[in-house]
Amino acid sequence: MKGRGAYLASRVGWALLTIFVVITFNFLLFRILPGDPARNVSKDPRLTPATVAALTERFGLDKPVLINTESGNPFDSQYFIYLGSLTRADLGISYAFRDRSVGEMLGGALVNTLWLILPAQILSIILGMLLGLLAAWRRGHALDLSALIFSLLMWSLPTFFLGIVLLFAGSAWFGLPTAGRITVGADFGSYWEELADIGRHLLMPTLAFTLVLLGEYMLIMRSSVIEVFSEDYILTAKAKGLTTLQIIRDHALRNAMLPMVTLIAINLGFTVSGAIQIESVFSWPGIGSLTVSAVRDRDYPVLQGAFLLLAIAVVIANLAADLVYGWLDPRVSEA
Amino acid sequence: MALIEVSSPHAAPAAPTRHVLRILLRSPMGAIGAAMLLVGVVFAVAAPLIAPYDPYETVHVTIDDIYQQPSAAHLLGTDDAGKDVLSGLIYGARVSLLVGFSAAFIALLIGGVVGIVAGYRGGRIGSALMRITDFFLVIPDLALQIVIVAIAGQSLTNIILVIGALGWTTTARLVRSQTLSVRERKFVLRARAIGAGDWHILRRHILPQVLPLMLANMVLVISLAILAESTLAFIGLGDPTVISWGQMLNFAFGRGAVSAGAWWALLTPGLAIVWVVLGTTLLGTTLEEVLNPRLKRHHLEKDRSMAIPPRSAAEVALAAPARDPDGPILQVRDLAIEFESPGGPLRAVDGVSFDLRRGETIGLVGESGSGKTTAMLGMMRLLAPGGRLVGGQVFLDGEDLMTLPDAELRAVRWSRISVVFQGAMNALNPVRTVGDQVAEAIRVHEPEVGADGARVRAEDLLERVGIGRQRFDDHAHAYSGGMRQRAMIALALACRPDVIVADEPTTALDVMVQAQIMELLASLGREMGMGTILVTHDLGVVASSCDRVLVMYGGRIAEEGPTSRLFSDPQHPYAQLLLASFPDLAAPDRELRGIPGTPPRLDAMPPGCSFAPRCPAAFDRCRVERPGEYPVGEGRRAACFLLDPQGANRG
Repeated sequence: MKGRGAYLASRVGWALLTIFVVITFNFLLFRILPGDPARNVSKDPRLTPATVAALTERFGLDKPVLINTESGNPFDSQYFIYLGSLTRADLGISYAFRDRSVGEMLGGALVNTLWLILPAQILSIILGMLLGLLAAWRRGHALDLSALIFSLLMWSLPTFFLGIVLLFAGSAWFGLPTAGRITVGADFGSYWEELADIGRHLLMPTLAFTLVLLGEYMLIMRSSVIEVFSEDYILTAKAKGLTTLQIIRDHALRNAMLPMVTLIAINLGFTVSGAIQIESVFSWPGIGSLTVSAVRDRDYPVLQGAFLLLAIAVVIANLAADLVYGWLDPRVSEA
Repeated sequence: MALIEVSSPHAAPAAPTRHVLRILLRSPMGAIGAAMLLVGVVFAVAAPLIAPYDPYETVHVTIDDIYQQPSAAHLLGTDDAGKDVLSGLIYGARVSLLVGFSAAFIALLIGGVVGIVAGYRGGRIGSALMRITDFFLVIPDLALQIVIVAIAGQSLTNIILVIGALGWTTTARLVRSQTLSVRERKFVLRARAIGAGDWHILRRHILPQVLPLMLANMVLVISLAILAESTLAFIGLGDPTVISWGQMLNFAFGRGAVSAGAWWALLTPGLAIVWVVLGTTLLGTTLEEVLNPRLKRHHLEKDRSMAIPPRSAAEVALAAPARDPDGPILQVRDLAIEFESPGGPLRAVDGVSFDLRRGETIGLVGESGSGKTTAMLGMMRLLAPGGRLVGGQVFLDGEDLMTLPDAELRAVRWSRISVVFQGAMNALNPVRTVGDQVAEAIRVHEPEVGADGARVRAEDLLERVGIGRQRFDDHAHAYSGGMRQRAMIALALACRPDVIVADEPTTALDVMVQAQIMELLASLGREMGMGTILVTHDLGVVASSCDRVLVMYGGRIAEEGPTSRLFSDPQHPYAQLLLASFPDLAAPDRELRGIPGTPPRLDAMPPGCSFAPRCPAAFDRCRVERPGEYPVGEGRRAACFLLDPQGANRG
């Protein structure tokens, strides 16, 4: 199908363009703002002269910012040096942990973050769709009302505060660990014991994250299902003599999921902010904790790298959502 | 399928500010939210008066002052620095609300301008602005806020600017779509037609329509801004010179409140945030709901329509006409339908009766809002939510549809009575292939045919209605308007029903296609021996394709009769006027007359004959008493006192 290919190409093109803009934006952010970390690098008392020299060399800090108009080579500028180092996946070295590369730190943290995000996302999407569907179907009944109140509460509850409450409750009542990914210094008899220990650490952060996301997804699914249930084609399906279950399964679900997919994608930014908060409450060693500690240490290379990684991850996830949308809705990809 | 016609808004509606306030205060959610927010505002404004201590004062503390339990001196205990938690909370309201309101104002300004320009100008500038909005929508907010505040410095001004400058995207999208819809409204088009400038239109017509929604949205943005500020402060990026709830949590959490068990220092700042954000959210959602009411009802709600007390089997048998192969296939008796409304039930269909014979086509005509569609949907118990059947019987081949259990009713639907819906675009499911929707009906009602058999039959049907079997796997959006309507007919014929209800099957189609569709429907109906009810505005279509006509007005049958006789000699004044308002090709010189006035609204039905206010021949009796139905010649009846054989006419 030609239409489908064109749709695919346009979405991928838009994602690539966004990534490029994000990269440029990220570069400028760290050069333009009053704090200007790169230029102030030599004033940072924590750095050794060798590091300063290395950074000046690496970022070309003595060179023009965007385009080099003085020398013959217009690409001999900080911006193009930055782009060049990105193509080698070189994100610089951490100020705070001087011998570690930012790329390596981010890679490890990303894996941990995914451990936190994925189960919570999957759980909350499934539960949210199910409860949202039920709430919409039984509009105005007890279930619907409790779903609404729950969503409203979750919306008003700062994620970090929910995290604190669960951390408190988990350690006081269930003896769950309060920080980290694994019990430090513990001697595990087997791989399974180690996994169980990680699981105990993951329990409360996952619960907190799931609850936060669930409120949102349930609300979206509910209004989306109500919308679809009021469409004319649902009346057609009813007139055709289909049972309610058949109508929901064959005529409503797929259509109701369309806004869900879009909103899950849009909410990925929200997911990131949730991860940052929950990781910092539970000291979970992911991108969020890394970001927060980089802020505390004014570790700009790590901060810049983490932001770039998060932004690109969201762009890619959005692309995935666009593709799923095109697959679910033939109007988009065939038109 | 507008059931209650509302007079079309030609004039620009006034900004509904006062109206909104009234509804808001009457809604418990809105009132509670406003009150919660008000408490926060009072605390913020009067903090120095209310707070027992001044948290900004430097005091000398000893180790014993830290994390003191709640006591008379410190109602909510002390924090990690030995300071009074309650005072901190009261002063913290200042920062939260200041950031919330200022940042939301900035967001509103940016989002409003971007949205209005993108919506009003459209074109390249519009799409460029929306692309920029999309870009900001993708960037993870908190991460960017963290980066900017970390670099630019942790001052309250920076925090406000950052939250405001990143929080405008949802406002922009909302304002744009609202502007787009207002831009096409009649009063704006008219203002433009008489030469009003852009600036005038924006200020006088667009802004008053967009602003209320923008303000409602601003309330929600305030809640987001308060959350964002507290999150930044919790992460350690708050302004260190001021006391905020997020910062109090940060200090308590980071400085041993968990291990000290100092719940008062941990929980209270969090609850304060929840209080203000919940209040703002309640207020904001209520405002949005009032300004932009969402759908309240849908088609799959539990069927509560049957208010008719169930009759015993004996009663049903007594009432049921004998099953007669030559008699009418469909008999409707005294059908009555009401709609719920805030002012009590409104009667949309009031005692409609008629018969339909096999192979016969009858036309159901009348102005919009006369209850035609409602009567047809009610007959099949497919009323829109809010509609209720309050009386009557509908016999399909001797079986009363009104008392049939759900499962049996489902079996009857489509296999015996089917519908060609008005507006096939919406009546066909957009994400499933058209052919499969036809085959689905066959699979459901005749499972013995099998999936492959159903497909072949559906393909035959598509062929039959002139679409062609090769279009089976296309979606509705790939069909033309005429083809969609043909597909709808194929769908209606799928199970070879006894009765087809065609609800304005040709509106919105061009004249050539209209004629083709009508011809198709009529020929297939005759061929399959189906009874057809054609609901339409178009008297020309009725004249050429219907055996009999029912004229409906105000939820009742005004006149019934064979088409040729009713058209040549209408008896009811309404039928006379209706026919006079329609051009006659045979008598092109005849003067065309419209019917003065408008059909009555359901909530303002006249007490007597519903047509009396517009009727040139109305007399006193018409205004107090409802006319019965009187025979006016063979196979004809009309509901008018002029035709009452015993009536001392003219009262």
